[in-house]
Amino acid sequence: MSDFINQALLGPLELLGRQVLTVLPNVLAMGIILLGGIFTAWALGSFSERLLRVIGFDHFCDRVGMNAALLRGGVKTDPSRLVGRGIYWTVIVMASIAALGALNLTPINQFAQSLLAYVPHLVTAAVILLAGYFLSNFVSQAVLIAAVNAGLPPARLIAACSRWGIQVLAAAMALEQLGIAQHIVVVGFGITWGGIVLAGAIAFGLGASDLAKELLERRLINRSKANPDDDLHHW
Amino acid sequence: MSANLTPLTPPTEARIQEIGSAEVLVGIPSYNNADTVAHVVRAVSVGLAKHFPGRRAVLVNSDGGSSDQTPAIVARTAIDFEHLFIADQQSILHRIVTPYHGIPGKGSAFRTIFEIARRLNARACAVVDADLRSISPEWIELLLRPILEEGYDYVAPYYLRHKYDGTITNSLAYPLTRALYGRRVRQPIGGEFGFSGALAAHYLDQHVWESEVARFGIDIWMTTEAIASGARICQSFLGAKIHNPKDPSADLSAMLTQVMGALFALMEKHEVLWSRLEGSQPVPLFGFTYEVGVEPVHVNMERMVLHYRQGLTDLEPIWRQILADDTFAQLRDLQGTSNTDCRIPDELWVQVVYDAAIAHRKRIIRRDHLLKALTPLYLGRTASFVHATQGLTSVEAEQKIEALCHTFERMKPYLVERWQPPAPQPAAPALLHHTSTDAGGDHE
Repeated sequence: MSDFINQALLGPLELLGRQVLTVLPNVLAMGIILLGGIFTAWALGSFSERLLRVIGFDHFCDRVGMNAALLRGGVKTDPSRLVGRGIYWTVIVMASIAALGALNLTPINQFAQSLLAYVPHLVTAAVILLAGYFLSNFVSQAVLIAAVNAGLPPARLIAACSRWGIQVLAAAMALEQLGIAQHIVVVGFGITWGGIVLAGAIAFGLGASDLAKELLERRLINRSKANPDDDLHHW
Repeated sequence: MSANLTPLTPPTEARIQEIGSAEVLVGIPSYNNADTVAHVVRAVSVGLAKHFPGRRAVLVNSDGGSSDQTPAIVARTAIDFEHLFIADQQSILHRIVTPYHGIPGKGSAFRTIFEIARRLNARACAVVDADLRSISPEWIELLLRPILEEGYDYVAPYYLRHKYDGTITNSLAYPLTRALYGRRVRQPIGGEFGFSGALAAHYLDQHVWESEVARFGIDIWMTTEAIASGARICQSFLGAKIHNPKDPSADLSAMLTQVMGALFALMEKHEVLWSRLEGSQPVPLFGFTYEVGVEPVHVNMERMVLHYRQGLTDLEPIWRQILADDTFAQLRDLQGTSNTDCRIPDELWVQVVYDAAIAHRKRIIRRDHLLKALTPLYLGRTASFVHATQGLTSVEAEQKIEALCHTFERMKPYLVERWQPPAPQPAAPALLHHTSTDAGGDHE
């Protein structure tokens, strides 16, 4: 009877106890990592937010049009807080992955490794999108001013095309970086962009041949004939 | 002598050693001016021989790499003095023809001229553009004599111009400079100047030669720096200024950017000085003034108004950032008017300029974008000026400009209030040895 109790009841319980004792340090480690991660995330997030406020990051974003863009997208939080929250959640995700890794379970380890391997691509894609956004703003503003100063009636259309052209290019590059439908994105972008350029060239060449001729003459032959009916000397 | 010497080419160094010293120096900055430079060299040579026969004189050509033989023309241009009744030419005119180093532009050409003046210990200097067609030998006397014999440090030109010639000067450079610095220099961006050797050395000691001043904006910089340094300044009446035509419209935006950018940058540098000044003083004028008919200037006013209207529509988001709400609201009210009634009055134009200066200082948007975005506004204002002065004589048109200047001065508190006050500092020291009291008190 006692053998039966030892083998049938205590044996599995002892095995379970051993397994629990084996896993317990890992679970404890996971808890510690999670707690440490949460604290680090809170500290880093708060510190970054305060630092950005001190150095005038919100004002800078306002100047480059980021605040207006965020408002257009329905985001009313100021940029410093956004960055602070971004850092907080990034650390939380990293800490969670590290905590899961502490359990030392093969499927979770594999998942964590693949997730970590993807992070550089995510960061690169985010940087590309951000750079594309800033560049598109800068270029479209410069194009708009130059087009108005040149007296081109569709100035806003030209500026909008330059803005969206750069943003679409940045989005395509970011998607390629993320490995999402790489070939489709590249081919799709190539076809769309090539089509726009070809359509524009045909439209300009056929529909506005006089304008094209005048523009070329003005540029290449004799710039001083640009406004033959106006000889005002501004300087 | 300052330790920071501007680099010169070895042949130029050797030529300076050879010449040793000079009493007067005339500089001609050039770049592809083969058509006109010979006339300028002749006028300068005759002017020096006729008016300063006993003084040791040097002509300096500072060239930006001309491909049309401009330096060679300067070097070989000969003058037949006998036919000009100049028999007693006592001093040989030395010539230095040199390329300049540094950023390409008129400012770098001037820097080389200043450096040569310093090395030669010149007492009086003048610079004249190489594209002038109307320069006469008398210009040299008028630019140099106030320095040599009257003790002035800076001579600004005073031209006879058509009422629509020099609209950037009339609507912006002159009124703003006058309102800010309190001196009525009528042509602050004229192009021809006289200055003392001490002022040339002061210019050289300023750390601006790697900035945009080296490329452009040198004219307004020289005038402003002369006023701000406490130099004694005067003007000389040179008559009509005729020079090779520049493209009348293609580079307007660039021209405006140059002048406004330099004016606004100088406002930041000298904020302690101008924020304390009120009113303005006249500047003495030398030379025999006269009135002649000048060639009519045809103006396409409708095109300028259309340009302004397009700016109001397309650049609205940018103008809203640059201008105060009230200023923009007044501009927007003009949208509903007909082309003939679409006018930017003096007060509104002054508000626009002051708002733009404040936005430039606060870097509301990129500075080059800000300056270029003002082009349609400037054209709108120019159209308004043309409309207001149609049928008026040059004298009557000048009265309109005078009224604009008064508006700039009267509304200066608008600028001072909005310009963030600088930290209390001691008054800027007079960099030269004079005080600017020569014109008598006429503060308003």
